[in-house]
Amino acid sequence: MVTEDEEVKNEISFYNMLKEEIFNFLPLELKNILLKIDPKELETIEEIRLRAGKPLMLESCSGSWFVNQRGRLEKNCTNEKVVFQHEIIKAFELMSQNSIYAFLEDIRNGFITLKGGHRVGIAGRVVVEGGIVKNIKDMSALNIRVSKEVRGCSKKIMKYIVKNKNDIYSTLIVSPPQCGKTTMLRDIARNISNGIKSMSFNGIKVGIVDERSEIASCHKGIAQNDVGIRTDVLDGCPKAIGMTMMLRSMSPKVIITDEIGNSGDMEAVMQVINAGTRIIASAHGYNISELKTRKEVLGLIEQKAFERYIVLDNSQGPGTLKEVIDGITMKGVQQDAS
Amino acid sequence: MLLKLIGSLLIMAASSFLGVYFSKECARRPRELRELQRLLQMFENEISFLSSTVTEAFIKLSGYYESNIRLFFSQAAEILMHKNGINASEAWEMAVKENIKKTALKKEDEAIVLSFGKMLGASDLEGQISNIRLTLTQLKMQEEKAEEEKEKNKTMYMNLGVLGGLAIVIILI
Repeated sequence: MVTEDEEVKNEISFYNMLKEEIFNFLPLELKNILLKIDPKELETIEEIRLRAGKPLMLESCSGSWFVNQRGRLEKNCTNEKVVFQHEIIKAFELMSQNSIYAFLEDIRNGFITLKGGHRVGIAGRVVVEGGIVKNIKDMSALNIRVSKEVRGCSKKIMKYIVKNKNDIYSTLIVSPPQCGKTTMLRDIARNISNGIKSMSFNGIKVGIVDERSEIASCHKGIAQNDVGIRTDVLDGCPKAIGMTMMLRSMSPKVIITDEIGNSGDMEAVMQVINAGTRIIASAHGYNISELKTRKEVLGLIEQKAFERYIVLDNSQGPGTLKEVIDGITMKGVQQDAS
Repeated sequence: MLLKLIGSLLIMAASSFLGVYFSKECARRPRELRELQRLLQMFENEISFLSSTVTEAFIKLSGYYESNIRLFFSQAAEILMHKNGINASEAWEMAVKENIKKTALKKEDEAIVLSFGKMLGASDLEGQISNIRLTLTQLKMQEEKAEEEKEKNKTMYMNLGVLGGLAIVIILI
């Protein structure tokens, strides 16, 4: 139970976090406009969008909002505050701590991760050399995705994952985009790693292979999100290679990774399973039958790599539990039984 | 008579001291230019091998030397740490303009140092390194010029001090 007092405290600290970790990296003019916005309006903020020559916009649960000079949010485009390209470039310089050279690897992937785990996506003119992206120059748009840790969001589904007090089921989390897959994975990682007292589940060693720096949101190798005490993170490593590396180097009991389904993933996952290590992964999809249309995932389903499939949707807010399916029998697991 | 002697000795001492001081001052500019070059070289190492951010590198560099040159780095780092929406090139410009008076650097040196800041942190590693190298060659040339000037002026100031003192004494007596 969260008491009202705690909630108020959370709001304030969320606003402070926005100020400290995001607004501080914006050029002065943009920062001042954002500071004029009522903190209450920013509670549900998901994205801050800067586009060259277009108005400053915020995305939240309730849709997109235009920000005007006085920091008011409006539904209709007023074109009052237009973001200039030089502001975008300056914001990017500030976000990379004036050291674009140090973030080039990230820039090549199209995003950088700020301290605090916020991801900043970049669009602009891409410099390609020999088929490899070398750099992004003349930036024209930034998408700042505010990272929010939702502690305890996996509470409802932990009982389907935990097998006994020292073991868990290999699980695939299936959900459409924007339904909290990654947030869920992060919370699961924390729970498994720290242990769950109420279920008398002891914590076990967790290895996270975080190809896109989304789960742990590492900034210079240090996890910015709390992913648990027994957790090791391999940041920015391609999944298939990373899983094998993790297996050899850190002897995890569980490997957690995001969005499987590329070629090579199947073999890597089977290797993990064969080594007696559990795996928790996520995949894009609306239901199991849709998943089966994808070759790599179908292979895994047929080889019974996963013992549990957990399907999420957005019907009652992000992370709503839709169904749980047993991977061996392919039948639904009674949701009421615990 | 004794008073006259003491007075002329004092004048001689003061003017020779001035001469020595100015000849020492001549040596300051080439020394500071050399130091700046060394610091920039270290900066290159910091960013290419340790991939430190500009702020981290500047903080480290400002600990290496005691001279006023380090003020450019320490103050720029301080400005950047306040996170007031100021980027590296602006911070560098502010720090240089504020502290250039405390060094022996001339206007022409200042132009080179300022142009170094224009690209600071705003490009990939190759761009940064070529910017540093360019600045280094320019500073090297300035250093050579300053060295020549120093050799010329050093003895001149020294002689001027001693002889000037002598002249004053003679006139007054």
